[in-house]
Amino acid sequence: MYGKGLLKGLGITLKHTFEKDITIQYPEEMPFLQERFRGCLSFDFGKCIACGLCTKACPNNVLSFETVKEEGAKKKKLLNYTIDLQYCLFCNLCVEVCPTNTLYFTHSFELTKFKREDIKIVYHRPPELDLLPEEKETGNLEVQVEMPDITEAEAKRLKQLEAMKTALGKNPQKVLSKVLDTEEDIAIMANLMASDEKKLFKMAELMLGDREKARKIAQAFVNKEKKDRQQEGGE
Amino acid sequence: MEHWFLNIAHWLTSWLVSLGLAPVWAEVILLVGQWTCIVGIITLNVLVLIWLERKVAGFMQQRLGPNRLGPYGFFQTIADTLKLLTKEDIIPSQTDKLIFKIAPMFFIIVSVMLYAVLPMGQDMAVVNLNVGLFYFISVGSLSTICLLMAGWGSNNKWSLLGAMRSVAQMISYEIPLAFSLLGVVMISGSLNLSDIVQAQHNLWFILLQPVAFITFFIAATAELNRGPFDMPEAEQELTAGAFTEYSGMRWALFFLAEYTNLVAVSALAATLFLGGWQGPFLPSWLWIILKTYLIMMVFMWLKWTFPRIRMDHLMSLSWKVLIPISLVNIVLTGAGIEIFRWMGW
Repeated sequence: MYGKGLLKGLGITLKHTFEKDITIQYPEEMPFLQERFRGCLSFDFGKCIACGLCTKACPNNVLSFETVKEEGAKKKKLLNYTIDLQYCLFCNLCVEVCPTNTLYFTHSFELTKFKREDIKIVYHRPPELDLLPEEKETGNLEVQVEMPDITEAEAKRLKQLEAMKTALGKNPQKVLSKVLDTEEDIAIMANLMASDEKKLFKMAELMLGDREKARKIAQAFVNKEKKDRQQEGGE
Repeated sequence: MEHWFLNIAHWLTSWLVSLGLAPVWAEVILLVGQWTCIVGIITLNVLVLIWLERKVAGFMQQRLGPNRLGPYGFFQTIADTLKLLTKEDIIPSQTDKLIFKIAPMFFIIVSVMLYAVLPMGQDMAVVNLNVGLFYFISVGSLSTICLLMAGWGSNNKWSLLGAMRSVAQMISYEIPLAFSLLGVVMISGSLNLSDIVQAQHNLWFILLQPVAFITFFIAATAELNRGPFDMPEAEQELTAGAFTEYSGMRWALFFLAEYTNLVAVSALAATLFLGGWQGPFLPSWLWIILKTYLIMMVFMWLKWTFPRIRMDHLMSLSWKVLIPISLVNIVLTGAGIEIFRWMGW
């Protein structure tokens, strides 16, 4: 029949009209991501053994880190780990080569940043690693690393850090309420920071950087203090 | 409900006469009021139509269409209109200024003139002209000149070429458009649109004249420059044809006029083939609106289904297919009328 194709086409559009729309209204709705989706490359500080295989595997020199070898220690100690994500081509080679599964891809794909220097992801040595009992015994936490020339971004970061420190010193309740949930915990943490300046500095640093990590560490601090108090009470 | 608008008109004239105004002047004021209403309805309709078109297109492509501004994105068109109104008025330096400026105005005026004879309900035509259909077709064909004016005034060879293509297309499709309507005129025995509606009291003409309806529909799509016959504009291939040099509100006027024409032709199709304002339960003016929108939905359905036809195919479709079919339809209709008359109906 002449014009059969036209009718068929009309039928198809009519069918689609009443079908469910396939639009995903990002960012209100998030797209479904497959399990092995390669989002932001991330790093788990505690697992890293500073073997350097990842830096060798990387075709674009995305990865770099700094270590220090303390006197008498057998292992190198990782100080920081940098992922310069702007050069990353998400090839998965570093993830495959890593012996301890330290590197992994997350599902976070919103990698845009306002400033170029923010693209670089820098992981600093988290304080909880140094709080391990044997590390505490060795005591000497100071490490001799040459301070790099302070760049503009770094200077800004330092400035922000100072501001955060003063904020934490003056009004700890308000700042801590962002990471801690109960009032009791906040009070404990505030007390801890008032007595120990190092803890205050660490919190300030963490608050500026990874909020999630700050939450975890603050909670860890509080839990430890609670435990100590309980033991004291028991005695 | 049926006589709301008639009552308003009656009340207005009698009130004006009671104020001591001569009945002639009261009529004139009523006429002005009617035209204002028509222009208002058209503007409102276009706002709804553009939104509807985008929504329908979205649904057909399994998208959502506009959905950010207002309920279901309804205020999107209003925002777009405001944007167009506030845009800078650019007139290229080498254009024929007068023609360039009056072309969009003429286009919109011609489009609005079409509404004079359309019966928008029982006894609700602004002018109950006894050659209404003839008036509609002849005024409708004036829009061709406006397109040519736009193309010529732009002083741009591509605009002129686009305009010439539009003119060729629109003149070619005028013939099957008029021919396909002749069948209806022959059966109803009148060119008055109100009489044609009355003649469909028992049976809609779409059932008596299905071939005429289809040829009319195809020719009207081409006459309206709508997809799949939107050759003059062809936004993906040409740069809007005759409208290339237009921007801002002048361009929007062309857009407005095209949608105005769409409403007018859909209303004409409803009047001639779908029984016009006749229908049960609902008031007559609501019936014509419903039928008009039904036909416009079909226009949109066609536009968003079919790919654009090639220029030579377009011409051969008109001259080699539609015109012979509509001519045969006229002959068969005449023969049918004679046979029925002979049988004594």
